[in-house]
Amino acid sequence: MNKEFKVLALPYKIWLGIFVFVPIIAMALIGISNLNSTVTIADLRITLSHFSILYQRSVLIAFRNSLTFAFATTLICFVLGYFVSYEIKRSRVKNKFVILTIVILPMWSNLILRIESLGNIMSENNILKSIIGFNLFGNISGTWMAVLFGLVFTYLPFMILSIYTALEKIDPALEEAALDLGLTPMMKFWKVVFPLSFKGVVTGSIMVFLPALTGFAVPKILSRGQIILIGNIIENKFIYTNYNHGALLSMIILIFIFGSILLITKFDKEGETLL
Amino acid sequence: MIEREVATLKDYGFRDYSKLVKAFNVVKRIFVVLIILGLYLSIIIIAIKSFNNSRNLSSFSGLTLSWYLEMFNETELMNAVRNTLIVSTIATVVATILGTIFAIGLYTLAKKNRVFWMLLNNVPILNADIVTGFSLMLMFRMFMVFFPNIFGLFTLVMAHLFFCIPYVVLSVMPKLKETDPNLMDAALDLGVKPYKALVKVLIPAIKAGIFAGMLLALTMSIDDFVISYFNTGAGFDNLSIWIYAVMGRRDLTPSVYAFSTLLTLFTLAGLLVYQFLERNKKGEKV
Repeated sequence: MNKEFKVLALPYKIWLGIFVFVPIIAMALIGISNLNSTVTIADLRITLSHFSILYQRSVLIAFRNSLTFAFATTLICFVLGYFVSYEIKRSRVKNKFVILTIVILPMWSNLILRIESLGNIMSENNILKSIIGFNLFGNISGTWMAVLFGLVFTYLPFMILSIYTALEKIDPALEEAALDLGLTPMMKFWKVVFPLSFKGVVTGSIMVFLPALTGFAVPKILSRGQIILIGNIIENKFIYTNYNHGALLSMIILIFIFGSILLITKFDKEGETLL
Repeated sequence: MIEREVATLKDYGFRDYSKLVKAFNVVKRIFVVLIILGLYLSIIIIAIKSFNNSRNLSSFSGLTLSWYLEMFNETELMNAVRNTLIVSTIATVVATILGTIFAIGLYTLAKKNRVFWMLLNNVPILNADIVTGFSLMLMFRMFMVFFPNIFGLFTLVMAHLFFCIPYVVLSVMPKLKETDPNLMDAALDLGVKPYKALVKVLIPAIKAGIFAGMLLALTMSIDDFVISYFNTGAGFDNLSIWIYAVMGRRDLTPSVYAFSTLLTLFTLAGLLVYQFLERNKKGEKV
Protein backbone atom coordinates (compact mmCIF):
# COMPACT_ATOMS: atom_id res chain seq x y z
CA MET A 1 0.00 0.00 0.00
CA ASN A 2 1.16 3.46 -0.84
CA LYS A 3 3.13 5.02 2.01
CA GLU A 4 1.86 8.42 0.95
CA PHE A 5 -1.43 7.70 2.73
CA LYS A 6 0.34 7.60 6.10
CA VAL A 7 -0.46 11.30 6.29
CA LEU A 8 -4.14 10.43 6.49
CA ALA A 9 -3.64 8.80 9.89
CA LEU A 10 -2.01 11.89 11.37
CA PRO A 11 -5.18 13.89 12.15
CA TYR A 12 -6.67 10.82 13.78
CA LYS A 13 -3.60 10.35 15.93
CA ILE A 14 -3.97 13.94 17.13
CA TRP A 15 -7.72 13.52 17.62
CA LEU A 16 -7.28 10.28 19.60
CA GLY A 17 -4.43 11.82 21.57
CA ILE A 18 -6.69 14.66 22.67
CA PHE A 19 -9.96 12.82 23.17
CA VAL A 20 -8.58 9.71 24.82
CA PHE A 21 -5.99 11.25 27.10
CA VAL A 22 -7.08 14.79 27.97
CA PRO A 23 -10.44 13.80 29.53
CA ILE A 24 -8.82 11.02 31.56
CA ILE A 25 -6.02 13.28 32.76
CA ALA A 26 -8.56 15.98 33.63
CA MET A 27 -10.62 13.42 35.49
CA ALA A 28 -7.62 12.12 37.43
CA LEU A 29 -6.61 15.65 38.31
CA ILE A 30 -10.07 16.63 39.50
CA GLY A 31 -10.32 13.41 41.47
CA ILE A 32 -7.25 14.17 43.57
CA SER A 33 -7.36 17.95 43.85
CA ASN A 34 -9.60 20.74 45.08
CA LEU A 35 -10.27 21.89 41.51
CA ASN A 36 -13.87 22.88 40.84
CA SER A 37 -15.73 25.71 39.18
CA THR A 38 -14.94 28.17 41.99
CA VAL A 39 -11.25 27.30 42.33
CA THR A 40 -8.87 28.69 39.72
CA ILE A 41 -5.74 26.92 38.50
CA ALA A 42 -3.63 29.22 40.66
CA ASP A 43 -5.19 27.92 43.87
CA LEU A 44 -4.93 24.32 42.77
CA ARG A 45 -3.96 22.03 45.59
CA ILE A 46 -3.53 18.28 45.58
CA THR A 47 -5.67 16.63 48.22
CA LEU A 48 -6.55 13.07 48.99
CA SER A 49 -9.58 14.03 51.05
CA HIS A 50 -11.99 12.84 48.35
CA PHE A 51 -10.88 9.27 48.99
CA SER A 52 -12.97 9.37 52.15
CA ILE A 53 -16.10 8.66 50.05
CA LEU A 54 -14.67 5.23 49.30
CA TYR A 55 -15.30 4.28 52.92
CA GLN A 56 -18.87 5.51 52.90
CA ARG A 57 -21.31 2.69 53.46
CA SER A 58 -23.54 3.68 50.56
CA VAL A 59 -20.62 3.67 48.13
CA LEU A 60 -19.35 0.31 49.34
CA ILE A 61 -22.81 -1.19 49.00
CA ALA A 62 -23.12 0.31 45.53
CA PHE A 63 -19.83 -1.29 44.47
CA ARG A 64 -20.91 -4.64 45.87
CA ASN A 65 -24.29 -4.36 44.11
CA SER A 66 -22.66 -3.37 40.82
CA LEU A 67 -20.21 -6.25 40.87
CA THR A 68 -22.86 -8.79 41.86
CA PHE A 69 -25.30 -7.67 39.18
CA ALA A 70 -22.59 -7.40 36.52
CA PHE A 71 -21.25 -10.92 37.19
CA ALA A 72 -24.71 -12.46 37.38
CA THR A 73 -25.81 -10.70 34.19
CA THR A 74 -22.67 -11.78 32.33
CA LEU A 75 -23.05 -15.39 33.44
CA ILE A 76 -26.72 -15.62 32.46
CA CYS A 77 -26.07 -13.81 29.17
CA PHE A 78 -23.21 -16.21 28.43
CA VAL A 79 -25.38 -19.29 28.96
CA LEU A 80 -28.39 -17.94 27.05
CA GLY A 81 -26.25 -16.22 24.42
CA TYR A 82 -24.07 -19.22 23.65
CA PHE A 83 -27.12 -21.44 23.44
CA VAL A 84 -28.95 -19.12 21.03
CA SER A 85 -25.87 -18.42 18.85
CA TYR A 86 -25.04 -22.11 18.60
CA GLU A 87 -28.60 -22.96 17.66
CA ILE A 88 -28.65 -20.18 15.06
CA LYS A 89 -25.42 -21.49 13.61
CA ARG A 90 -26.67 -25.07 13.48
CA SER A 91 -30.12 -24.16 12.20
CA ARG A 92 -30.89 -25.12 8.66
CA VAL A 93 -32.22 -21.64 7.96
CA LYS A 94 -30.11 -20.42 5.05
CA ASN A 95 -30.68 -16.73 5.53
CA LYS A 96 -28.48 -15.78 8.48
CA PHE A 97 -29.08 -12.11 7.73
CA VAL A 98 -32.72 -12.44 8.75
CA ILE A 99 -31.84 -14.21 11.99
CA LEU A 100 -29.26 -11.61 12.94
CA THR A 101 -31.73 -8.85 12.10
CA ILE A 102 -34.19 -10.45 14.50
CA VAL A 103 -31.57 -10.29 17.23
CA ILE A 104 -30.52 -6.71 16.53
CA LEU A 105 -33.89 -5.13 15.78
CA PRO A 106 -34.87 -4.54 19.44
CA MET A 107 -31.67 -2.54 19.92
CA TRP A 108 -32.92 -0.02 17.41
CA SER A 109 -35.69 1.27 19.60
CA ASN A 110 -34.95 3.63 22.39
CA LEU A 111 -33.33 1.93 25.39
CA ILE A 112 -34.97 4.13 28.01
CA LEU A 113 -38.41 3.55 26.54
CA ARG A 114 -37.85 -0.21 26.40
CA ILE A 115 -36.77 -0.33 30.04
CA GLU A 116 -39.71 1.81 31.07
CA SER A 117 -42.07 -0.60 29.33
CA LEU A 118 -40.47 -3.57 31.08
CA GLY A 119 -40.81 -1.74 34.39
CA ASN A 120 -44.45 -1.10 33.63
CA ILE A 121 -45.38 -4.76 33.11
CA MET A 122 -43.50 -5.73 36.26
CA SER A 123 -45.72 -3.58 38.47
CA GLU A 124 -49.01 -4.66 39.98
CA ASN A 125 -51.49 -3.00 37.66
CA ASN A 126 -50.20 -2.99 34.14
CA ILE A 127 -51.31 -2.92 30.58
CA LEU A 128 -50.46 -6.57 29.91
CA LYS A 129 -52.53 -7.68 32.90
CA SER A 130 -55.52 -5.78 31.60
CA ILE A 131 -55.26 -7.77 28.36
CA ILE A 132 -54.22 -11.30 29.37
CA GLY A 133 -55.85 -11.18 32.80
CA PHE A 134 -52.87 -12.18 34.96
CA ASN A 135 -49.51 -10.80 35.94
CA LEU A 136 -46.77 -12.31 33.79
CA PHE A 137 -44.01 -11.43 36.24
CA GLY A 138 -45.90 -11.21 39.48
CA ASN A 139 -45.25 -7.94 41.19
CA ILE A 140 -41.46 -7.82 41.04
CA SER A 141 -41.03 -4.14 40.27
CA GLY A 142 -38.46 -2.64 42.62
CA THR A 143 -36.74 -5.95 43.40
CA TRP A 144 -33.39 -7.35 42.32
CA MET A 145 -35.16 -9.79 40.01
CA ALA A 146 -36.59 -6.94 37.96
CA VAL A 147 -33.15 -5.35 37.60
CA LEU A 148 -31.49 -8.64 36.67
CA PHE A 149 -34.15 -9.45 34.07
CA GLY A 150 -33.82 -5.95 32.59
CA LEU A 151 -30.02 -6.13 32.44
CA VAL A 152 -29.96 -9.60 30.87
CA PHE A 153 -32.43 -8.84 28.11
CA THR A 154 -30.93 -5.41 27.40
CA TYR A 155 -27.40 -6.68 26.86
CA LEU A 156 -28.03 -10.22 25.55
CA PRO A 157 -27.85 -9.13 21.86
CA PHE A 158 -24.21 -8.04 22.34
CA MET A 159 -23.34 -11.51 23.64
CA ILE A 160 -25.23 -13.29 20.85
CA LEU A 161 -23.58 -11.17 18.16
CA SER A 162 -20.04 -11.62 19.50
CA ILE A 163 -20.33 -15.37 19.95
CA TYR A 164 -22.10 -15.81 16.63
CA THR A 165 -19.35 -13.86 14.82
CA ALA A 166 -16.73 -16.17 16.34
CA LEU A 167 -18.75 -19.33 15.61
CA GLU A 168 -19.30 -18.33 11.99
CA LYS A 169 -15.56 -18.07 11.40
CA ILE A 170 -14.93 -21.70 12.40
CA ASP A 171 -14.11 -23.78 9.35
CA PRO A 172 -16.78 -26.52 9.05
CA ALA A 173 -14.05 -28.87 7.79
CA LEU A 174 -12.53 -28.80 11.28
CA GLU A 175 -15.75 -30.10 12.78
CA GLU A 176 -15.99 -32.84 10.17
CA ALA A 177 -12.39 -33.77 10.82
CA ALA A 178 -13.07 -34.02 14.54
CA LEU A 179 -15.99 -36.39 13.90
CA ASP A 180 -14.00 -38.42 11.38
CA LEU A 181 -11.21 -38.83 13.89
CA GLY A 182 -13.65 -40.43 16.28
CA LEU A 183 -14.85 -37.75 18.66
CA THR A 184 -18.41 -37.92 19.83
CA PRO A 185 -20.51 -34.82 19.03
CA MET A 186 -20.25 -33.74 22.67
CA MET A 187 -16.46 -34.06 22.73
CA LYS A 188 -16.25 -32.32 19.37
CA PHE A 189 -18.05 -29.37 20.90
CA TRP A 190 -15.81 -29.11 23.96
CA LYS A 191 -12.50 -29.86 22.22
CA VAL A 192 -12.96 -28.04 18.92
CA VAL A 193 -15.91 -25.65 18.71
CA PHE A 194 -15.82 -24.09 22.15
CA PRO A 195 -12.08 -23.28 22.25
CA LEU A 196 -12.30 -21.74 18.78
CA SER A 197 -15.25 -19.57 19.77
CA PHE A 198 -13.67 -18.47 23.05
CA LYS A 199 -12.52 -15.19 21.52
CA GLY A 200 -16.15 -14.27 20.97
CA VAL A 201 -17.09 -15.33 24.48
CA VAL A 202 -14.46 -13.01 25.98
CA THR A 203 -15.51 -10.06 23.84
CA GLY A 204 -19.20 -10.71 24.43
CA SER A 205 -18.69 -11.04 28.17
CA ILE A 206 -16.91 -7.72 28.34
CA MET A 207 -19.52 -6.04 26.14
CA VAL A 208 -22.12 -7.22 28.68
CA PHE A 209 -20.10 -6.86 31.87
CA LEU A 210 -18.99 -3.25 31.47
CA PRO A 211 -22.37 -1.63 30.72
CA ALA A 212 -24.03 -3.81 33.36
CA LEU A 213 -21.39 -2.71 35.88
CA THR A 214 -21.65 0.99 35.13
CA GLY A 215 -25.11 1.68 33.75
CA PHE A 216 -27.48 3.74 35.80
CA ALA A 217 -30.72 3.98 33.83
CA VAL A 218 -31.69 0.29 34.02
CA PRO A 219 -31.32 -0.13 37.82
CA LYS A 220 -32.85 3.28 38.50
CA ILE A 221 -35.99 2.62 36.44
CA LEU A 222 -36.50 -1.06 37.26
CA SER A 223 -35.73 -0.89 40.97
CA ARG A 224 -37.55 2.43 41.35
CA GLY A 225 -34.49 3.80 43.09
CA GLN A 226 -34.42 0.95 45.64
CA ILE A 227 -31.20 -0.63 44.43
CA ILE A 228 -28.26 1.72 44.06
CA LEU A 229 -25.45 0.81 41.69
CA ILE A 230 -22.20 2.69 41.29
CA GLY A 231 -23.53 4.38 38.15
CA ASN A 232 -26.40 5.86 40.15
CA ILE A 233 -23.97 7.38 42.64
CA ILE A 234 -21.93 8.94 39.83
CA GLU A 235 -25.11 10.28 38.26
CA ASN A 236 -26.08 11.88 41.56
CA LYS A 237 -22.63 13.43 41.94
CA PHE A 238 -23.13 14.87 38.45
CA ILE A 239 -26.61 16.21 39.22
CA TYR A 240 -25.38 17.89 42.43
CA THR A 241 -22.25 19.08 40.55
CA ASN A 242 -19.89 17.32 42.96
CA TYR A 243 -17.43 16.63 40.16
CA ASN A 244 -14.50 15.74 42.43
CA HIS A 245 -16.22 12.72 43.89
CA GLY A 246 -17.73 11.76 40.55
CA ALA A 247 -14.32 11.89 38.91
CA LEU A 248 -12.73 9.76 41.61
CA LEU A 249 -15.41 7.08 41.32
CA SER A 250 -15.10 7.12 37.52
CA MET A 251 -11.35 6.59 37.88
CA ILE A 252 -12.02 3.45 39.89
CA ILE A 253 -14.35 2.15 37.18
CA LEU A 254 -11.58 2.90 34.70
CA ILE A 255 -9.41 0.32 36.45
CA PHE A 256 -11.98 -2.37 35.59
CA ILE A 257 -12.06 -1.12 32.02
CA PHE A 258 -8.28 -1.28 31.65
CA GLY A 259 -8.40 -4.84 32.91
CA SER A 260 -11.04 -5.66 30.30
CA ILE A 261 -9.11 -4.02 27.48
CA LEU A 262 -6.00 -6.01 28.41
CA LEU A 263 -8.07 -9.18 28.44
CA ILE A 264 -9.53 -8.45 25.01
CA THR A 265 -6.18 -7.60 23.44
CA LYS A 266 -4.82 -10.86 24.79
CA PHE A 267 -7.44 -12.88 22.97
CA ASP A 268 -8.24 -10.65 20.04
CA LYS A 269 -5.37 -8.46 18.86
CA GLU A 270 -7.09 -5.98 16.56
CA GLY A 271 -10.59 -6.18 17.91
CA GLU A 272 -12.00 -8.32 15.12
CA THR A 273 -14.83 -9.70 17.23
CA LEU A 274 -15.83 -6.24 18.47
CA LEU A 275 -18.23 -5.92 15.58
CA MET B 1 -30.36 -77.06 13.46
CA ILE B 2 -28.44 -75.33 16.13
CA GLU B 3 -30.01 -72.13 17.14
CA ARG B 4 -27.41 -69.51 16.92
CA GLU B 5 -27.62 -66.41 19.01
CA VAL B 6 -27.30 -63.39 16.86
CA ALA B 7 -25.67 -60.43 18.52
CA THR B 8 -27.75 -57.33 18.07
CA LEU B 9 -26.52 -53.78 18.03
CA LYS B 10 -27.81 -53.52 21.60
CA ASP B 11 -25.36 -56.16 22.75
CA TYR B 12 -22.54 -54.02 21.49
CA GLY B 13 -23.73 -51.20 23.70
CA PHE B 14 -25.65 -49.28 21.08
CA ARG B 15 -28.65 -47.48 22.43
CA ASP B 16 -31.20 -45.79 20.30
CA TYR B 17 -31.27 -42.21 21.43
CA SER B 18 -32.97 -40.85 18.31
CA LYS B 19 -36.31 -40.31 20.05
CA LEU B 20 -34.64 -38.60 22.98
CA VAL B 21 -32.63 -36.43 20.62
CA LYS B 22 -35.78 -35.42 18.79
CA ALA B 23 -37.53 -34.46 22.02
CA PHE B 24 -34.44 -32.60 23.14
CA ASN B 25 -34.39 -30.65 19.87
CA VAL B 26 -38.00 -29.60 20.34
CA VAL B 27 -37.24 -28.38 23.86
CA LYS B 28 -34.23 -26.48 22.57
CA ARG B 29 -36.29 -24.82 19.87
CA ILE B 30 -38.88 -23.74 22.44
CA PHE B 31 -36.14 -22.20 24.57
CA VAL B 32 -34.73 -20.26 21.62
CA VAL B 33 -38.19 -18.89 20.84
CA LEU B 34 -38.71 -17.94 24.49
CA ILE B 35 -35.40 -16.07 24.64
CA ILE B 36 -36.17 -14.21 21.41
CA LEU B 37 -39.59 -13.37 22.85
CA GLY B 38 -37.83 -12.01 25.92
CA LEU B 39 -35.82 -9.71 23.67
CA TYR B 40 -39.02 -8.53 22.00
CA LEU B 41 -41.17 -8.25 25.12
CA SER B 42 -40.50 -4.55 25.62
CA ILE B 43 -41.10 -3.76 21.95
CA ILE B 44 -44.42 -5.60 22.03
CA ILE B 45 -45.46 -3.62 25.11
CA ILE B 46 -44.46 -0.36 23.42
CA ALA B 47 -46.58 -1.30 20.41
CA ILE B 48 -49.57 -2.21 22.61
CA LYS B 49 -49.30 1.11 24.44
CA SER B 50 -49.20 3.00 21.16
CA PHE B 51 -52.55 1.52 20.11
CA ASN B 52 -54.17 2.08 23.50
CA ASN B 53 -57.33 4.14 23.52
CA SER B 54 -56.71 5.84 26.85
CA ARG B 55 -54.10 8.19 28.23
CA ASN B 56 -53.77 5.88 31.22
CA LEU B 57 -50.63 3.85 30.51
CA SER B 58 -51.44 0.95 32.82
CA SER B 59 -54.75 -0.28 31.48
CA PHE B 60 -55.87 -1.21 28.02
CA SER B 61 -59.25 0.15 26.99
CA GLY B 62 -59.42 -0.28 23.24
CA LEU B 63 -57.66 0.16 19.94
CA THR B 64 -56.96 3.50 18.37
CA LEU B 65 -54.59 4.98 15.84
CA SER B 66 -55.08 8.55 17.03
CA TRP B 67 -51.68 8.75 18.79
CA TYR B 68 -50.00 8.30 15.43
CA LEU B 69 -51.55 11.59 14.31
CA GLU B 70 -51.40 13.24 17.71
CA MET B 71 -47.62 12.89 17.96
CA PHE B 72 -47.03 15.54 15.30
CA ASN B 73 -48.74 18.07 17.58
CA GLU B 74 -46.55 17.29 20.58
CA THR B 75 -44.05 20.10 20.29
CA GLU B 76 -41.69 18.78 22.98
CA LEU B 77 -41.53 15.32 21.44
CA MET B 78 -41.04 16.70 17.94
CA ASN B 79 -38.36 19.03 19.25
CA ALA B 80 -36.49 16.11 20.84
CA VAL B 81 -36.82 14.09 17.64
CA ARG B 82 -35.49 16.99 15.58
CA ASN B 83 -32.51 17.42 17.93
CA THR B 84 -31.75 13.70 17.72
CA LEU B 85 -31.89 13.77 13.94
CA ILE B 86 -29.65 16.85 13.71
CA VAL B 87 -26.98 15.39 15.98
CA SER B 88 -27.09 11.89 14.50
CA THR B 89 -27.02 13.06 10.89
CA ILE B 90 -24.05 15.36 11.42
CA ALA B 91 -22.22 12.76 13.52
CA THR B 92 -22.88 9.91 11.09
CA VAL B 93 -21.94 11.77 7.92
CA VAL B 94 -18.77 13.28 9.39
CA ALA B 95 -17.78 10.05 11.14
CA THR B 96 -18.25 8.01 7.96
CA ILE B 97 -16.06 10.31 5.86
CA LEU B 98 -13.37 10.84 8.48
CA GLY B 99 -13.45 7.23 9.68
CA THR B 100 -12.83 5.93 6.16
CA ILE B 101 -9.93 8.33 5.61
CA PHE B 102 -8.44 7.51 9.00
CA ALA B 103 -8.80 3.76 8.47
CA ILE B 104 -6.87 4.00 5.18
CA GLY B 105 -4.20 6.02 6.96
CA LEU B 106 -3.92 3.53 9.80
CA TYR B 107 -3.82 0.62 7.37
CA THR B 108 -0.64 1.93 5.73
CA LEU B 109 1.18 1.94 9.08
CA ALA B 110 3.52 -0.89 10.03
CA LYS B 111 1.72 -3.71 11.82
CA LYS B 112 3.08 -3.06 15.31
CA ASN B 113 2.29 0.62 15.07
CA ARG B 114 -1.15 -0.15 13.71
CA VAL B 115 -2.03 -2.50 16.56
CA PHE B 116 -1.23 0.28 19.03
CA TRP B 117 -3.43 2.86 17.29
CA MET B 118 -6.22 0.33 16.81
CA LEU B 119 -6.09 -0.23 20.55
CA LEU B 120 -6.56 3.49 21.13
CA ASN B 121 -9.28 3.45 18.48
CA ASN B 122 -11.12 0.80 20.50
CA VAL B 123 -10.96 2.78 23.73
CA PRO B 124 -14.22 4.70 23.12
CA ILE B 125 -15.97 1.44 22.19
CA LEU B 126 -14.78 -0.50 25.21
CA ASN B 127 -14.83 2.32 27.71
CA ALA B 128 -17.92 2.47 29.87
CA ASP B 129 -20.33 5.11 28.62
CA ILE B 130 -20.49 6.74 32.02
CA VAL B 131 -16.72 7.22 32.18
CA THR B 132 -16.55 8.50 28.60
CA GLY B 133 -19.47 10.84 29.21
CA PHE B 134 -18.27 12.11 32.55
CA SER B 135 -14.67 12.68 31.49
CA LEU B 136 -15.63 14.36 28.20
CA MET B 137 -17.90 16.64 30.19
CA LEU B 138 -15.00 17.57 32.45
CA MET B 139 -12.83 18.32 29.42
CA PHE B 140 -15.49 20.49 27.79
CA ARG B 141 -15.93 22.34 31.07
CA MET B 142 -12.26 23.30 30.94
CA PHE B 143 -12.94 24.98 27.58
CA MET B 144 -15.76 26.96 29.16
CA VAL B 145 -13.21 29.56 30.26
CA PHE B 146 -12.84 30.54 26.59
CA PHE B 147 -16.25 29.53 25.25
CA PRO B 148 -18.84 29.95 28.02
CA ASN B 149 -21.73 28.60 25.93
CA ILE B 150 -19.94 25.52 24.62
CA PHE B 151 -22.46 23.01 26.01
CA GLY B 152 -25.26 22.12 23.62
CA LEU B 153 -25.21 21.09 19.99
CA PHE B 154 -21.43 21.48 19.63
CA THR B 155 -20.42 19.32 22.61
CA LEU B 156 -23.05 16.75 21.73
CA VAL B 157 -21.77 16.41 18.16
CA MET B 158 -18.13 16.22 19.32
CA ALA B 159 -18.99 13.55 21.89
CA HIS B 160 -20.91 11.54 19.29
CA LEU B 161 -18.05 11.83 16.81
CA PHE B 162 -15.72 10.51 19.49
CA PHE B 163 -17.56 7.20 19.71
CA CYS B 164 -18.85 7.01 16.09
CA ILE B 165 -15.53 7.29 14.22
CA PRO B 166 -14.06 4.16 15.90
CA TYR B 167 -16.98 2.05 14.68
CA VAL B 168 -16.40 3.19 11.09
CA VAL B 169 -12.64 2.54 11.38
CA LEU B 170 -13.31 -0.86 12.88
CA SER B 171 -15.64 -1.96 10.10
CA VAL B 172 -13.56 -0.51 7.24
CA MET B 173 -10.29 -2.07 8.45
CA PRO B 174 -11.14 -5.74 7.72
CA LYS B 175 -12.27 -4.79 4.21
CA LEU B 176 -8.95 -3.03 3.63
CA LYS B 177 -7.13 -6.17 4.71
CA GLU B 178 -9.20 -8.23 2.28
CA THR B 179 -8.44 -6.05 -0.75
CA ASP B 180 -5.69 -7.19 -3.03
CA PRO B 181 -2.67 -4.90 -2.51
CA ASN B 182 -1.82 -5.37 -6.20
CA LEU B 183 -4.99 -3.48 -7.05
CA MET B 184 -3.59 -0.15 -5.88
CA ASP B 185 -0.13 -0.91 -7.29
CA ALA B 186 -1.65 -1.69 -10.67
CA ALA B 187 -3.53 1.59 -10.67
CA LEU B 188 -0.39 3.48 -9.72
CA ASP B 189 1.70 1.66 -12.35
CA LEU B 190 -0.84 2.63 -14.94
CA GLY B 191 -0.12 6.23 -14.09
CA VAL B 192 -3.09 7.17 -11.92
CA LYS B 193 -2.29 9.76 -9.27
CA PRO B 194 -2.34 8.23 -5.72
CA TYR B 195 -5.35 10.15 -4.43
CA LYS B 196 -7.30 9.58 -7.61
CA ALA B 197 -6.53 5.87 -7.34
CA LEU B 198 -7.77 6.03 -3.77
CA VAL B 199 -11.14 7.36 -4.88
CA LYS B 200 -11.45 5.30 -8.07
CA VAL B 201 -10.00 1.97 -6.94
CA LEU B 202 -9.76 1.59 -3.19
CA ILE B 203 -13.01 3.24 -2.04
CA PRO B 204 -15.19 1.09 -4.34
CA ALA B 205 -13.39 -2.01 -3.04
CA ILE B 206 -14.18 -1.20 0.59
CA LYS B 207 -17.68 0.18 -0.07
CA ALA B 208 -19.40 -2.55 1.95
CA GLY B 209 -17.27 -1.83 5.02
CA ILE B 210 -17.97 1.90 4.78
CA PHE B 211 -21.69 1.24 4.53
CA ALA B 212 -21.67 -1.12 7.51
CA GLY B 213 -19.67 1.41 9.51
CA MET B 214 -22.13 4.15 8.63
CA LEU B 215 -25.07 2.03 9.79
CA LEU B 216 -23.28 1.20 13.04
CA ALA B 217 -22.43 4.84 13.68
CA LEU B 218 -26.02 5.87 13.03
CA THR B 219 -27.34 3.14 15.35
CA MET B 220 -25.00 4.10 18.16
CA SER B 221 -25.60 7.80 17.75
CA ILE B 222 -29.37 7.73 17.49
CA ASP B 223 -29.84 5.52 20.54
CA ASP B 224 -27.17 7.02 22.78
CA PHE B 225 -28.29 8.08 26.21
CA VAL B 226 -25.49 8.11 28.78
CA ILE B 227 -22.83 10.06 26.90
CA SER B 228 -25.38 12.57 25.60
CA TYR B 229 -26.85 12.94 29.09
CA PHE B 230 -23.55 14.26 30.47
CA ASN B 231 -22.57 16.36 27.47
CA THR B 232 -25.64 18.29 26.52
CA GLY B 233 -26.64 21.69 27.74
CA ALA B 234 -28.77 24.73 27.07
CA GLY B 235 -31.87 22.50 26.95
CA PHE B 236 -30.66 20.72 23.82
CA ASP B 237 -32.21 17.35 24.70
CA ASN B 238 -32.13 14.40 22.38
CA LEU B 239 -34.91 11.81 22.47
CA SER B 240 -33.32 9.59 25.14
CA ILE B 241 -32.59 12.45 27.51
CA TRP B 242 -36.05 13.91 26.99
CA ILE B 243 -37.78 10.59 27.68
CA TYR B 244 -35.63 10.07 30.78
CA ALA B 245 -36.60 13.50 32.10
CA VAL B 246 -40.31 13.18 31.26
CA MET B 247 -40.45 9.69 32.74
CA GLY B 248 -39.18 11.07 36.04
CA ARG B 249 -42.23 13.39 36.05
CA ARG B 250 -44.49 10.38 35.17
CA ASP B 251 -45.71 12.41 32.25
CA LEU B 252 -45.18 10.19 29.18
CA THR B 253 -47.79 10.54 26.46
CA PRO B 254 -48.76 7.54 24.32
CA SER B 255 -47.47 9.52 21.33
CA VAL B 256 -43.92 8.62 22.37
CA TYR B 257 -44.80 4.95 22.04
CA ALA B 258 -46.45 5.61 18.70
CA PHE B 259 -43.29 7.31 17.47
CA SER B 260 -41.09 4.45 18.68
CA THR B 261 -43.32 1.83 17.06
CA LEU B 262 -43.35 3.75 13.81
CA LEU B 263 -39.55 3.93 13.87
CA THR B 264 -39.28 0.18 14.49
CA LEU B 265 -41.64 -0.50 11.58
CA PHE B 266 -39.63 1.79 9.29
CA THR B 267 -36.40 0.04 10.28
CA LEU B 268 -37.98 -3.32 9.62
CA ALA B 269 -39.28 -2.17 6.24
CA GLY B 270 -35.86 -0.79 5.35
CA LEU B 271 -34.20 -4.09 6.21
CA LEU B 272 -36.75 -6.08 4.21
CA VAL B 273 -36.28 -3.84 1.16
CA TYR B 274 -32.50 -4.17 1.50
CA GLN B 275 -32.82 -7.93 1.74
CA PHE B 276 -35.12 -8.02 -1.29
CA LEU B 277 -32.69 -5.93 -3.37
CA GLU B 278 -29.75 -8.10 -2.34
CA ARG B 279 -31.60 -11.24 -3.34
CA ASN B 280 -32.46 -9.77 -6.73
CA LYS B 281 -28.85 -8.80 -7.27
CA LYS B 282 -27.70 -12.33 -6.51
CA GLY B 283 -30.34 -13.69 -8.88
CA GLU B 284 -28.99 -11.54 -11.71
CA LYS B 285 -25.47 -12.79 -11.23
CA VAL B 286 -26.52 -16.41 -11.50
